[in-house]
Amino acid sequence: MSQQKQEWGSRLGVILAVSGSAVGLGNFLRFPGQAAQHGGGAFMIPYFCALLFLGIPIGWAEWTMGRYGGRKGFHSAPAIMGVVGRGAIARYLGIVGVLIPLAVYFYYVFIEGWCLAYAWEYAKAIFGGTAMGIDPKAAIDVQSASSATFFTNFTGKASDGVMLGGSIVESVVFWAIVFALNVWFVFRGLSKGIEKFCSWAMPAMAVCALIVLFRVLTLPPNPTNPDQNVLTGLGYMWNADFDALKDPGTWLAAAGQIFFSLSVGFGVIINYASYMKRKDDLVLSGLTASATNELFEVGFGGMITLTSAFIFLGATGTAAAVATGSFGLGFTTLPVVFAHMPAGNIIGMLWFFMLFLAAITSSLSMLQPSMAFVEEALGTTRLKATAIITVVALIGSLWVIWFSKDLAALGTIDNWVGTFLIVVLAAVQVICFGWVFGMERGMKEAHEGAALRIPRFMHFIIKFVAPAYLLTMIGVFCIKDDNLPAWIRSASNNPVERNTLILIGLVIAFLCILTHIGTKRWRAAGLDVDGNSPPND
Amino acid sequence: MPAELSPIGWLLMICSLTFVVGLTGWCYYRVLSAPKEPAKPAKDFHSA
Repeated sequence: MSQQKQEWGSRLGVILAVSGSAVGLGNFLRFPGQAAQHGGGAFMIPYFCALLFLGIPIGWAEWTMGRYGGRKGFHSAPAIMGVVGRGAIARYLGIVGVLIPLAVYFYYVFIEGWCLAYAWEYAKAIFGGTAMGIDPKAAIDVQSASSATFFTNFTGKASDGVMLGGSIVESVVFWAIVFALNVWFVFRGLSKGIEKFCSWAMPAMAVCALIVLFRVLTLPPNPTNPDQNVLTGLGYMWNADFDALKDPGTWLAAAGQIFFSLSVGFGVIINYASYMKRKDDLVLSGLTASATNELFEVGFGGMITLTSAFIFLGATGTAAAVATGSFGLGFTTLPVVFAHMPAGNIIGMLWFFMLFLAAITSSLSMLQPSMAFVEEALGTTRLKATAIITVVALIGSLWVIWFSKDLAALGTIDNWVGTFLIVVLAAVQVICFGWVFGMERGMKEAHEGAALRIPRFMHFIIKFVAPAYLLTMIGVFCIKDDNLPAWIRSASNNPVERNTLILIGLVIAFLCILTHIGTKRWRAAGLDVDGNSPPND
Repeated sequence: MPAELSPIGWLLMICSLTFVVGLTGWCYYRVLSAPKEPAKPAKDFHSA
């Protein structure tokens, strides 16, 4: 085989890389909105229950499967799932573990470009001018309209094809920059590229977040409405409505937030863990990566976003911003907030640069699984694998940029792949781990080299509670009218959505062919593709 | 009039922050204080 052997440089390196993968825009933009809509401070009760009883145990199962697959000589989700799930069905279901990060990358890299471009806009505004065309002296309604117009033009939301219509568009330039950066770092390899970058990006993100948090917590009351101050802002986010706990939707929302935030079922952890050594402590590594994600989500996301919005926009404005979703809150509302904030241009630059770092540490992890899969399936070099994946990612990403009207292509991939398939993959993984691989064997593997022991009751949770929860979640997705049925109706009426699903289907076909070729190659090389024997190491 | 942070709100906020900061700090303490792996012996140093 002409493949170059990849491995992590240090234990801290793999933890920071997995944490970087987990910490993304959702920590700062989705979490506060979810909390505010589902009981404020009371939301933290189901949230932490979901973390302890679902997120961390499922994560441990994924880390364990990944390292076990690595010990058998595999690093891609299809091959590892084939070993853990013992056969072709699990192997082909494992394709979803390559599809999710690759397809999500198609649009995520575009959003990542927005973050860097917004940071650049603020950096320019520090030396004069206005960021996003927002006049600091105008009324809030006017500022909100300016910000929304800027975002619409910037992302091409008005019509298809405007981003690639011939003239140079700023967001496309930044997309190209961040796309090239991603390819370069992933091509450099696990240790020299991803680990090295995350080792400085994660601390840098924490520093940026601390500065922004300090600024927000020291903001003076709103001069025109002194009731809008830091304490009432924190009250908006943290005051508890315990009645919300009676609503099952709150518990599902909390579990969903934990689930998507920790990147479980995303196909990344299984790949990253496959490069760990047999004696590495994956129990502590998994717990540390989850804890780091929570620090950013609760410590920074829960303290900064809505508190600052409330001081300048009040309860009605903040509620309206939350209702617009993560993009509306992050890219339309917060620029208005920064326009009112003392030193707002500096804070805006730091905030969007921090979002850019959060996004790039996640997007790097999205390219690595497919890169590893191509290398492994075709037995090719890193360079050739990089070239193949770059072409696929370019096609997908340009598709998203071209069909930008109402961000339809982006939204379709986000719904079907970035939301629905994640739950499906997690269910497949946790069922394979608990029921096919076996809990006793799984725990023995997890405890190899571990200083911490996974409590016994977690076995029950991984085997029974997690699959039941995930299957319920899939059932709710399939039945509830505003989820899957609505998406199917929408896709049948909207050609862009339908064609985007065809594009995803073509990527799946491509991955199936690679899996077929890879399986033949692995068998010919004498590898145990169906997990019939224990590792040799 | 917007409500200030209530005593229960304070409690939930402080408990949440203490939990995430404490858990993260404890985890990194355990990771960083773990014994370092012994350096790999140089392969084939005396060969040839």
